[in-house]
Amino acid sequence: MRNARAERNGPELACGASRFVRALWGFEVRVRALPSATNQFAPRRPRFVASNLWLPASPLSGVPGSFADYLFAACAHISAHLRFGAPRFSIDSLKPAQVAIISLLEDARVERLATARYPGLLRLWAPYYTARADGAKTSLSLLARLARALHDDAYVDDDSWVNKGRQLFLEGRAEWHDASSCRRIGSLLGNDLGQMRVQFNAKDYTVEPAYRDDNIGLWQFEQEASEDGTELETQGVRRIESDAPASKARERGEPQASSPQLARARERAARLPSQPTAELEPATLHPEWDYLIGRERPAFCSVREHPVALGDATHIAAALARYAPARKRLERSALRLANRRPTQLRRLLDGDRLDLPLAIAAVVAHESAVAADPRVYRRVRFRLEPPALLLLLDLSESLNAVLPGTSTTLLELARTASALLATSLASVAGDLAIHGFSSNGRHDVGYYRFKDFDQPYDELARARLAGMRAQLSTRLGSALRHAGRALATRSAPRRLLLVVTDGEPSDIDVHDPQYLLFDAKQATIANRRLGVTSFCVGLDPNAEASVKRIFGAGNYSLLDRLESLPHRIAQLYLRLSA
Amino acid sequence: MSAGSLEAFRIREEPYYLALADEVSLFEAAYAVRLPVMLKGPTGCGKTRFVQHMAWRLRKPLITVACNEEMSASDFLGRYLLEDGRTRWQDGPLTVAARLGAICYLDEVVEARQDTLVVIHPLTDDRRLLSLPARSEALRAHPEFHLVVSHNPGYQSALKDLKPSTKQRFGAIEFDYPPRAQEIEILVHETALPCELAERLVSMAEAARRLKGHGLEEGISTRMLVHAGSLIRQGVGVEAACQMALVRPLSDDPDLVSALVASVRACL
Repeated sequence: MRNARAERNGPELACGASRFVRALWGFEVRVRALPSATNQFAPRRPRFVASNLWLPASPLSGVPGSFADYLFAACAHISAHLRFGAPRFSIDSLKPAQVAIISLLEDARVERLATARYPGLLRLWAPYYTARADGAKTSLSLLARLARALHDDAYVDDDSWVNKGRQLFLEGRAEWHDASSCRRIGSLLGNDLGQMRVQFNAKDYTVEPAYRDDNIGLWQFEQEASEDGTELETQGVRRIESDAPASKARERGEPQASSPQLARARERAARLPSQPTAELEPATLHPEWDYLIGRERPAFCSVREHPVALGDATHIAAALARYAPARKRLERSALRLANRRPTQLRRLLDGDRLDLPLAIAAVVAHESAVAADPRVYRRVRFRLEPPALLLLLDLSESLNAVLPGTSTTLLELARTASALLATSLASVAGDLAIHGFSSNGRHDVGYYRFKDFDQPYDELARARLAGMRAQLSTRLGSALRHAGRALATRSAPRRLLLVVTDGEPSDIDVHDPQYLLFDAKQATIANRRLGVTSFCVGLDPNAEASVKRIFGAGNYSLLDRLESLPHRIAQLYLRLSA
Repeated sequence: MSAGSLEAFRIREEPYYLALADEVSLFEAAYAVRLPVMLKGPTGCGKTRFVQHMAWRLRKPLITVACNEEMSASDFLGRYLLEDGRTRWQDGPLTVAARLGAICYLDEVVEARQDTLVVIHPLTDDRRLLSLPARSEALRAHPEFHLVVSHNPGYQSALKDLKPSTKQRFGAIEFDYPPRAQEIEILVHETALPCELAERLVSMAEAARRLKGHGLEEGISTRMLVHAGSLIRQGVGVEAACQMALVRPLSDDPDLVSALVASVRACL
């Protein structure tokens, strides 16, 4: 069964990799694909900078075993650095060989500490140690042999330098918690290598075994490595072209409006009839909770409903096509939900109460010695009616972020998810609304209705969805209150507010991060009093603490794979309404 | 129904339960004043075992009702049966317990429809009355009758929660997966695994519990560890047993399964 699936490629496995790290140590890492090796300067090993990991997207040449195992091995190694590593070493006056050897010792040190807790990691790493004791006495071979000697106590090597390294390392067992022991031993071994007249060429050096990272994350360089790993220059160890694993503009989520399709779409959107002149409603004032004084500030925030600019809906249909199976499932379930009414079940062998006419007939039959029909019970079957659902989208600037490795923005995903829900729930459409919000200070919380309750999901609604834009900040509490009020007017027995947000409320006029968080929590509680249940789909797996605080344990779900947003929302709707 | 029929609900042998804090004395105190008890905690952490243990300790019969959405009031209270051309009243499980004096345990109480659960209200305050409208009877509960419910609040509680009016009738005891040392002890006791292997299984559970909310709805429970342990005692290989009892039941997501498998291997 395990082998039934073909080897899968990098980005898909990346998700498994970050979950693996979370399972082992409980912290979050961001995994991305290394750019493929097209030039000689491209990195030949995994890399990490702080908690950002870059793993190869395809198997490296000469690496044995399955690619999935390789990625897990690399992740386990890097996470050992993150768990047990010290602040980065400074280069000072170290020679390239010393840098390489200190890194190697540090690798062994953190691995020893990790395997003390997870002994199975030894087996995960073992296949990649291919150095042999009879290798040439080059620096490359000696370093690989030293790595093996430090990893495998049963490995026998006749080289005195390798054995000295192993002996020093094992004697320092008591100091393994302290990374500076590696620096001391490494400097020593580096000097020895120099005295043995063994050449060390930093340009040719590649870390062995292959699952280990390229050591960039261990060292403090004079020119500081930027957080996303671009513009890295390694002095002494090796030079690497600025290979930009992810371009910075994309990182910040700036939309790239270069494609001709996009230009065409904009043109078409411009030709659509303009929005029917919806009067701009006057601002609704909502209170805001100030946790410092433990009280609500009455009429503190103004929520303004803005008409939505229309966009071109053709690409929504294209995006939806990819979700055809999910859509079918959802449609079927929605239809079932729509038909839920209390039903009388009669002629039961077992039920709540006797069905009087049938019981009399049975008694008569019994008295006249005819076989009586024992099915004399009836029962009313209640089933929960579908809830009224308001999908509330946090349309702040952060939604413009591009999914790593794709050209899709979170905004597009949110739009697709909305369209999927609206298309499939046609049979209960009256009870579905899709709203969004973004804020610009407490006087200007913008609120948009893409599809409202009792509105059909038609051409106009689709055009509004297409016109959805992400900008500004997240004043979550005010939006929650506004949405709660809209939902509370519905007559459905249950009212569900499904909020899609990154989970970090913020606004330009608030500097205390706790403030809006507590306000949002208070808004959720107030909504509950109105009979509105809130559930959050969190887009940032690191924001668990704040999402949990706002919505309560069990009332949120974090996406660790953003692509799955449309599926997850559909799934959640079904689960919560079942 | 006679008092003799309760004998079937008596627990003869002590069910193993390792107390983690003061839950035993809290339960005994609640029983002494007949305060209904709510046991809260994730699935598979030992709530049902605790009730069995307490019923044994207090030497009371235990009547368990697994709640579900289709249950109606008569599933708790009882109904008329037709027999030989006459009707005969048959007590439901709650009525039996209240009439004859047993501990009634409503497992996963939120699964029952909330308007159905209202039937327990008069029974759970100082009236201790059970009203049987179909029989025109107001049954005064037996002095030894006690009500216990269990409830897993973490599990997607949106839209599925107890009414405040129901919640307020209970005293609650909070359960969680046992701390590492105790979980190992439980596992060794239940499965007779060697201690070192039990430790590794518990490490796996700890790893999976860190994924709760990150793809997993619930982590590996103590019950699942016991399953894995029993499979190993049956001669199944450790890794195969863990895959069968710990990994495969939890998720169908291939990425998550691969991460879980790798974590299981890392612990071995």
